[in-house]
Amino acid sequence: MGLIAREIERAGIPTVTLSVVRAASLRSPAPRNVFVPFRLGQVFGEPGADVQQRAVLADLLAALLHIRAPGAILDLPYRWKRSIFS
Amino acid sequence: MRKHRWLATLYGRFPILSRLSVGRWSAESDELPWSPARIPLAEANIALVTSAGVHLRRDEPFDMENREGDASFRVIPGDTPVGDLTITHVYYDHRAADRDVNCVFPLERLREFAAAGKIARVAPRHIGAMGHILGAEERRLVSATAPAIAKLLVEDGVDYVVAAPG
Repeated sequence: MGLIAREIERAGIPTVTLSVVRAASLRSPAPRNVFVPFRLGQVFGEPGADVQQRAVLADLLAALLHIRAPGAILDLPYRWKRSIFS
Repeated sequence: MRKHRWLATLYGRFPILSRLSVGRWSAESDELPWSPARIPLAEANIALVTSAGVHLRRDEPFDMENREGDASFRVIPGDTPVGDLTITHVYYDHRAADRDVNCVFPLERLREFAAAGKIARVAPRHIGAMGHILGAEERRLVSATAPAIAKLLVEDGVDYVVAAPG
């Protein structure tokens, strides 16, 4: 994913890349990285959990404007099945 | 992550494992391309790029036979009903996303943001691709696929891209 993001960024479009495997973001960082400790297959949240999915997407969009260091990782404060979204 | 089905499955079942891996800050991070974000979200045309294997049902599925993966990509129109989408990917458990594709590709959430004025608009074209690309397919991803995706998004006047894995 980082590889495609880097190419898009090179073409002039700012990107933000979500990750659920933090080590992978460290090994091959995208320009802007956001880590959330969710599961593969549910990286924006659980099925039907609109509020949760909206929260993660909103945080990614905010990160586009807030991350200013190339390769930085922003850790979202959510916990899998333990954070309350409402 | 390497293309090992068992490893992908393991990470999926036990997300904590990903934290145990020792990351190293790659030298290439010094050379990361960078385009500053210049416009507010409320004025932005936004596209999603997923490596979760999402594509239109009527499109050709990704090739799951090639051990090096499939470096091709599929275009997903921004107004696609989510019922027209499917997932071809055997390297992660996508049963949840089969029920609600927004788990990996939040197109409906993005449309809600546009309707609420949080973003200016949903891009006309979004990108479905695959993760776990190796060898010759990785070279194709670098030399052909990624530049083609970037070109398409530039043509559509996309301001920002949200990229996410499966």
